[in-house]
Amino acid sequence: MTDHPNDYIKPELMACCGAREIRDGDVVVVGTGFPTMSANIAKHTHAPRAVMMQESGVYDARPRRPALSVGDACLNPGAAMIGGLVDIMGMFLQGGWIDVGFLSGSQVDRFGNINTTCIGPYDQPKSRLPGSGGANPIGAMARRVLIIAQHDPRRLPARVDFVTTPGYIDGAGAREKWNLPAGTGPHVIITNKAVLRFDPETKEAYLASFHPGCTIDEIRSLTGWDLKVADDVHETEPPRAEELQVIREVLDPHRMIKIYESKGYV
Amino acid sequence: MSKVMTMKEAVAAHVQDGDFVYIGGYICRTPFSAVHEIIRQRKSGLTITRGNAADDFDMMIGAGVVKRFISTFISLGLYGLARCYRRSLEKGIPHRIEVEEYTNLSLPMMLMAGAMGMPFVPVKDLLGTDLLNIRGFMGENKYKRIESPFDGRPVLLVPALNPDVGIIHVQQADEGGNAQMWGIGGDCKYGANASKKVIVSCERIVSRETIGKDPSRTIVPDFKVAAVVEEPFASHPGYTPGFYDLDLGFGYLYKEASGTVEGFEAFLKEWVYDLPDRAAYIQHFIDRFGYARFRSLQARFDFGYPVSYEY
Repeated sequence: MTDHPNDYIKPELMACCGAREIRDGDVVVVGTGFPTMSANIAKHTHAPRAVMMQESGVYDARPRRPALSVGDACLNPGAAMIGGLVDIMGMFLQGGWIDVGFLSGSQVDRFGNINTTCIGPYDQPKSRLPGSGGANPIGAMARRVLIIAQHDPRRLPARVDFVTTPGYIDGAGAREKWNLPAGTGPHVIITNKAVLRFDPETKEAYLASFHPGCTIDEIRSLTGWDLKVADDVHETEPPRAEELQVIREVLDPHRMIKIYESKGYV
Repeated sequence: MSKVMTMKEAVAAHVQDGDFVYIGGYICRTPFSAVHEIIRQRKSGLTITRGNAADDFDMMIGAGVVKRFISTFISLGLYGLARCYRRSLEKGIPHRIEVEEYTNLSLPMMLMAGAMGMPFVPVKDLLGTDLLNIRGFMGENKYKRIESPFDGRPVLLVPALNPDVGIIHVQQADEGGNAQMWGIGGDCKYGANASKKVIVSCERIVSRETIGKDPSRTIVPDFKVAAVVEEPFASHPGYTPGFYDLDLGFGYLYKEASGTVEGFEAFLKEWVYDLPDRAAYIQHFIDRFGYARFRSLQARFDFGYPVSYEY
């Protein structure tokens, strides 16, 4: 039987959920924080041949400490290749070679569209956000997009204020209509309460599993649309002992992951 | 031919009011001394661009030198949203800049097209999103959708960018401007080569012979370069691989200062307006924070094997 220690924190569970979506041999574009941690957990457990790159130009980095940004100095020494944005985003992502991308945003909607541009109207924003960066092309062209989100109705509305990054846009058939590459798109939304997956027919996100301690009613009340529930909905598997060991002893000995608790991922 | 000059001379001679300016960097090799000099000379009406902009762009926007920003993203990284940028778009302080938004795929490809003398480049991003719906100052020229002449399928074209001047910081260059860079590239190579002329700042000026020992590191050849400025520590508070690391403490100081208009103005006065040049900036940094902290940012020497080109 798999050992599941019960002293984990929610961000550790979320990182493990991300790791479990990565398959051996996957080519993964990562940002910092959750994505890097998830990809590394996978590499240290079930997916040793997964490889990572950063959009800034780095391929297969071997950093001596956790990177603080995708442009961090620690990504340079020991990488297998360093180019630039045109290499990673152009040749590899647009060229169709990226299996997994990770994204987060201020808002994520029921079709997996992501907003990182503005809250409120574009011309008179209540809050102006950083913009797309690499999110739009990753959302358009990675085969499986893993979305990390905080679970509350403001952050998970039925429709985002601004579609910065395409999910399934306005539902079934929309990505095809826009000629986005076949076989790409949002794969899962991992929140601090649940794991949502996408209905293959309607392309709408539904509740696949609820994290230990969370209830289906609570999760539905925190979601900005009428969240459908899978027939086989179940409790999310808690972090396994080996996953926690990798996080705490190898990847993050200084417990930097706790910063996500102060950001509301509890 | 030597093109070596001071940053003051380079910016005065080669950055005009109203110019379209590419500024390189990706936290890595940010040409901060040039940015400070542009602000110090109170340039105005600039259009600025780079994929993944950061504190250097935020500072120029706050200082009022920017009219237009061809953008993909701007933030203070670890320290969150870019405060001057937000004040400009949310409240019109010091004025509301105009923004045209692309992505970290399309914008670098637009610079690549510019570098190669192509009028446009096809891309697969932007489609199906509101980034395609909003148009700023480029209007109808933001993009065109056509049917591919080869397979008849719809394709999105985005225009080439050819900045009036490109400014980059690199590890080393010779006096003519052959510029050598290593580490994370961002869109630096294409941005510089898309520009009509280039200002190169470097950690050290080396001989043409030294350039020739590792020619594959050269990203801009001397004939495209208008000015070479030897400016150690020019990327601070960003970093330059092999020379110094990111200054997180200073990043926090900027975040705190730029949180208010008054704080930002005081920051500009202390770190830009009241200092004549980069040498004075470094001296002020040492006076303020101590030599030990200045030294602590320096990279260790790597005793690894040099690249060999023997045959």
